[in-house]
Amino acid sequence: MIDLPELRVPPAVVGATTGGVATGTASAGAATGTADGEVRIGGLGEPGTVLLSGPGPGSGSESLAGHRARWGDLPGATGADVDDLLEASALDGRGGGGFPLARKVAAARDAGTAPVLVVNASESEPASGKDRALCVHRPHLVLDGAALAARALGAGAAAVHLHRGDAGPASALARAVEERRAAGVADPRWVLSHGPGRYVSGESSAVAAYLHDGDARPRFTAVPLAVRGPSGRPTVVTNAETVAHLAVVCRIGPAAWAGLGAAASPGTRLATVTGAVPEPGRVLELGGPPTVGEVLVATGVPAPPAAVLVGGYAGTWIDGAEAWQTPFERSALACLAASPGCGLVGVLPHGACGLTETSRLVRWLAGESAGQCGTCVAGLPRLADGLEALAGGRFHRRGLRRVEALGASLLGSGACGHPDAVVRLVRSTLDVFADDVVRHLAGAPCRGADHPPVLAVPAPFLPTAGPRPPEDFT
Amino acid sequence: MSTVVRIDPTLCRGHAICALFFPGGVELDAWGFGRVVEPRPVARRTVRRALRAAAACPNGAVVVYDDRDGVGASGATPIGTL
Repeated sequence: MIDLPELRVPPAVVGATTGGVATGTASAGAATGTADGEVRIGGLGEPGTVLLSGPGPGSGSESLAGHRARWGDLPGATGADVDDLLEASALDGRGGGGFPLARKVAAARDAGTAPVLVVNASESEPASGKDRALCVHRPHLVLDGAALAARALGAGAAAVHLHRGDAGPASALARAVEERRAAGVADPRWVLSHGPGRYVSGESSAVAAYLHDGDARPRFTAVPLAVRGPSGRPTVVTNAETVAHLAVVCRIGPAAWAGLGAAASPGTRLATVTGAVPEPGRVLELGGPPTVGEVLVATGVPAPPAAVLVGGYAGTWIDGAEAWQTPFERSALACLAASPGCGLVGVLPHGACGLTETSRLVRWLAGESAGQCGTCVAGLPRLADGLEALAGGRFHRRGLRRVEALGASLLGSGACGHPDAVVRLVRSTLDVFADDVVRHLAGAPCRGADHPPVLAVPAPFLPTAGPRPPEDFT
Repeated sequence: MSTVVRIDPTLCRGHAICALFFPGGVELDAWGFGRVVEPRPVARRTVRRALRAAAACPNGAVVVYDDRDGVGASGATPIGTL
């Protein structure tokens, strides 16, 4: 094991009391490497947080001086050191896929030619706000992590990819880059990239493609991007939260960092809570990890809701009572065929109709297809038709079987995971809202027909003239 | 050595010629787009059919890869010609 730089744990972690519904007593245990299972839930600047520790949301973007006062200088770890730390911490990707960063970095380095590093902060998930919060309030933590990842890769430059039109993160990062340049931080060359704000444009191959040729659509990849990206060079695309964690790992050490979480899900994790909550869009840092119920209590939801959408708008519904007991971490959610994804927790209240909500989500997601793969272009709108017919009570058993068959034929059909994710969303809907499905099929009035929409859906993306599927396919 | 056959769904326009040349290896979905049934043909005869399908696709959507490294394909360079 390599020598770590002097351990620097932000004061908020050592001896902090945990916020919200924390169980157990707070101690410095987690920060010094003993996994004590202590539950931590906190927003920006609240006690118990690590990535979000420091000044509160009113203080704006943290300066380099403020960042250094809490975290110290950028660690002097060499590329090999960072590699060891990545391996030892088992840091997993936080953009949705959960792929270990150590493996991406190793694959890119083994591939030989000059690797490319892209930090994806574009956060295409409409209700998620964690990457935005990090870039706006803790830009130096993101840039520290990106600099360390670039060292591990041996990349001289690092791109931070943002959504065009969202000025907050862009200006905070641009200012942070200037501060670092003036202070002479040992950074790679920074490239700030601003891609289109479409849902699938945040997918890793689309981000890599955008940086290569300006076309932000997912690509068919025969080999992982980390082995060979669109430019022909190994391309590591990793989430902004992931590299921010790396910046922490390189300071407090992999054991202390991993101890903030559970064995199966090391470290803390950012989550965004949306839907029927007092403050939709609130970003929380979770350690321990807490159950979905504990997270919801901390956000002002006192009792299990009807259902919870986990992982993103193309995520998975879980029954409210079941979700309440489930730890918000990968292995526990996997037992319910769900994943933490980008950390989104969407709350559906009692009295709202899950089928109606999902039909709006699926219609929007169908419109967000990049229009490249025929099956996605042809199939997703049909899936949305089916959900709308079901939600509107215009469906019989045969129609439901058609929706199920349609879903099966969409799985694995695309260049990216978009159709698969939508199909999984629909399957979880039919499963979790099975009673509502029966009621709707029987022609009974929908209990939530008059309920106002819970999950806000953005305006549809204006379709450009794309390739059309053959006319005679049906 | 193993071989991987893939259809690039962003290029496939449903001409269905691959299904003629590589029956059993490619099936057509509900809309007529090609879909690889078994991504890893091992028999030499199967590879030959896959290569024929790749050569016949007007959009070059069928790709046949050598998969020595087991990472999907080595170097992503299509192997052989007819």
